[in-house]
Amino acid sequence: MGKLILNEWTKLFRRIGTWVMFGIVILMVIGMGTYLKYDESNHPPQENLNWKQDLTVQLENDRTSLEEVGQNNANLRTFYERQIAIKEYQIENELSPETGQNVWSFIGEAMGAIGFIGVFTIIIAAGIVSNEFSWGTVKLLLIRPMKRTRILLAKYLTVLLFGISMLSATFLIAAVIGFALFGLPEQAIPHLAYVDGQVVERSLFMQLIGEYLLGSIDVLMLATMAFMISAVFRNSSLAIGLSLFLMFMGGTVTMIVASKYEWAKYILFANTDLSVYFDGVPLVDGMTLGFSIFILFLYFALFQFLAFFVFAKRDVTA
Amino acid sequence: MKEVLRLDHVKKVIKGKKIIDDLSFSVREGEIFGFLGPNGAGKTTTIRMIVGLMKISEGDIVIAGKSIKKDFTKAIGQVGAIVENPEMYKFLTGYQNLLQYARMHEGITKEKIAEIVELVGLTDRIHEKVKSYSLGMRQRLGLAQCLLHDPKLLILDEPTNGLDPAGIREIRDHLRLLTRERGMSVIVSSHLLSEMELMCDRIAIIQNGKLIDVQTVNEFVQNRTATYQIETGSLGDAAFWLKSEWNIVMSKEGFTVETERENIPLLIRNLAAAGVDVFGVKTISKTLEDRFLEVTNK
Repeated sequence: MGKLILNEWTKLFRRIGTWVMFGIVILMVIGMGTYLKYDESNHPPQENLNWKQDLTVQLENDRTSLEEVGQNNANLRTFYERQIAIKEYQIENELSPETGQNVWSFIGEAMGAIGFIGVFTIIIAAGIVSNEFSWGTVKLLLIRPMKRTRILLAKYLTVLLFGISMLSATFLIAAVIGFALFGLPEQAIPHLAYVDGQVVERSLFMQLIGEYLLGSIDVLMLATMAFMISAVFRNSSLAIGLSLFLMFMGGTVTMIVASKYEWAKYILFANTDLSVYFDGVPLVDGMTLGFSIFILFLYFALFQFLAFFVFAKRDVTA
Repeated sequence: MKEVLRLDHVKKVIKGKKIIDDLSFSVREGEIFGFLGPNGAGKTTTIRMIVGLMKISEGDIVIAGKSIKKDFTKAIGQVGAIVENPEMYKFLTGYQNLLQYARMHEGITKEKIAEIVELVGLTDRIHEKVKSYSLGMRQRLGLAQCLLHDPKLLILDEPTNGLDPAGIREIRDHLRLLTRERGMSVIVSSHLLSEMELMCDRIAIIQNGKLIDVQTVNEFVQNRTATYQIETGSLGDAAFWLKSEWNIVMSKEGFTVETERENIPLLIRNLAAAGVDVFGVKTISKTLEDRFLEVTNK
C-alpha cells in the first residue's frame, strides 16, 4: 500500500498545479497576518478596565434569555447555561476575555483558510480517479497484479494525506507568522471548556488543533463525495461542480429547510459542524453529538460503498 | 506445445447485445499470434477481457493456468499489455513512468529497468518528459512498460499504429527477439494485414464477435485452391461447359478459374480437345489481404 500511495503522491506533486495550491494557501495566511498587523498598528488595542462590569451585564442578559427560551428548547438551554458558567468562572478567576492579537488567536483566525483547503482538496479528490480515465492511463494502471479496490483505497488515502498536509501546513505557517508578528500572550491563556456542568481549563494549543480538525469535517465529507462521483462517473467537472456548489450552498439551504422542517437534521450539512455541541447551538432541537456522528458515518459509508462497488465492477472502456 | 492463453467459450453481452459470441482459441508458448478483424469486430473488447479491464459475461479466460476471473492478480502478473495507444503520464519522465509500474510488481530492480530501457533503445532520452517524445518513442516506452516483469504473454493492440516503416520494422524485430530468446508469446492485433503476414505465426480472424478461422500464416495465404489466369483465344462453344463444370470467370485475355493445382493439366487437355488456343497459364497468388476480405465478406 505504501508504494501505491507513493505512486499517487508522485503523480500529484510532479504537477505544477498542486504546488500552486499550496502557494495560494500559504500566501493567504501571510496576507491575513500582514493585514491584522497593519490593522493593529492603526488601532492599538486598549485595555478594557471595566471588563468585569461588561461581563456582569452580559451575564444578566444571558440569564433573562435562559428564562425566556430555555424552557422549551433543550439545546438553547445548554448553550446559555454554558455561557453563564464560563462568564462566572472568568469573573471569579480574574481571566479577562479581551486580550490583544497573539500567536494563538492568529492560529484561530487562520482557520479561515480551511475554506480554500476544502476547495483544493475537492479538486484533487475529483481528479484523482477521473484523470486516469481522461489520460487513458487507467488501462495501464488496472492491468497490474493488484486488486482494483487496493488501487482505489491508495487513491483515497492520498486525498486524505493531501488534505491533512494542507491543514498542517496552514497550522504551522500560521504559528510561525503569528509568533513573528504578534508574539506570545503576556500570560498563558487557558481554554475554558464546559464539561458536565463544570468549567475546566484546557490547553489552548490542543483546543486549536481540535478546532482545525472539527472545522475540516465538511471538507472531509465533500472530498469523499467528490471522490465517489469521480470514481462512479469518471467525470471530474461534475465532481468538482457539484461538490463546490454543495460546499458553498449546502449550509444555507439546510438552514432554510431547517427553519420549516424537522427532517432537515438528516441532511449532511446539518451535521458537519460538530463544534456546535461544544460552544454553540445545533440546527434542529434535540440533535445530539452522537446523532450527528452517526449521520456522518452513514453518509461516509454510502459514498465509500458507491465508489468502491462501482469502481471494482465497471468495464473500463476509456 | 504448452498453451499460455486459452479462451473458453467466451461471451460478452452489453445491454442485451452480444458483442462477443462463443469465442474459443488458444495461444501457444513462443508464438506470435495475430488477431485480425474489421473495425467493430470485437478485437479490442476481447483484448480488454483478456487483461481484465472488462468482465466476461460467460465462459473463462485462462492465462498460464490461472483464470482471470477467479485468480485475477496471479493471471495478470503473467501479462504485459498495451491496450490501444500507449498512454503514459506526460508530465513525468519516461523513467518516472516506468518506476510507477515497477512499484506495482514484485522485485523489479533498478538494473532490470536499465536493461529494458536499453533493449527498447531509449537510454538517451529516458530522463526527458514524455511530453517531448515522438509517437515512436512512446510506443517503445509502452513496450518497455510491458516487459519490466518478464511476462509470459505480451498483448499488443495495434502496435504499429501511426509508426513509420522504420518503426514498424523495429517493433517486428523486437517481437521476434522476445519470442525466440525469451520464449514469450505475443498477441498482436493490427489493421495492417501485410504487416501481420510478416510478423505472425498464426492468425485468428473474428467478425461480428465470432471466430471465423484460425490458421497458420502459410496455410492462410497458400490455401489449397488457387486462382489461375488462363490466356486463350476465342472460347466459342467451350464457354458453356467451362462455365458449368469449372465455374470460370471471363476476363479480357481469357478467363480465370479457381481450382486445385492437380486439375490444371486436365483443364488444358480439355481445352485442346475443344480446339481452344491456349497462350499461357499463370497463378495469381493471393495476399493475406485478399484472403481476409474473402473470408470476412462471406
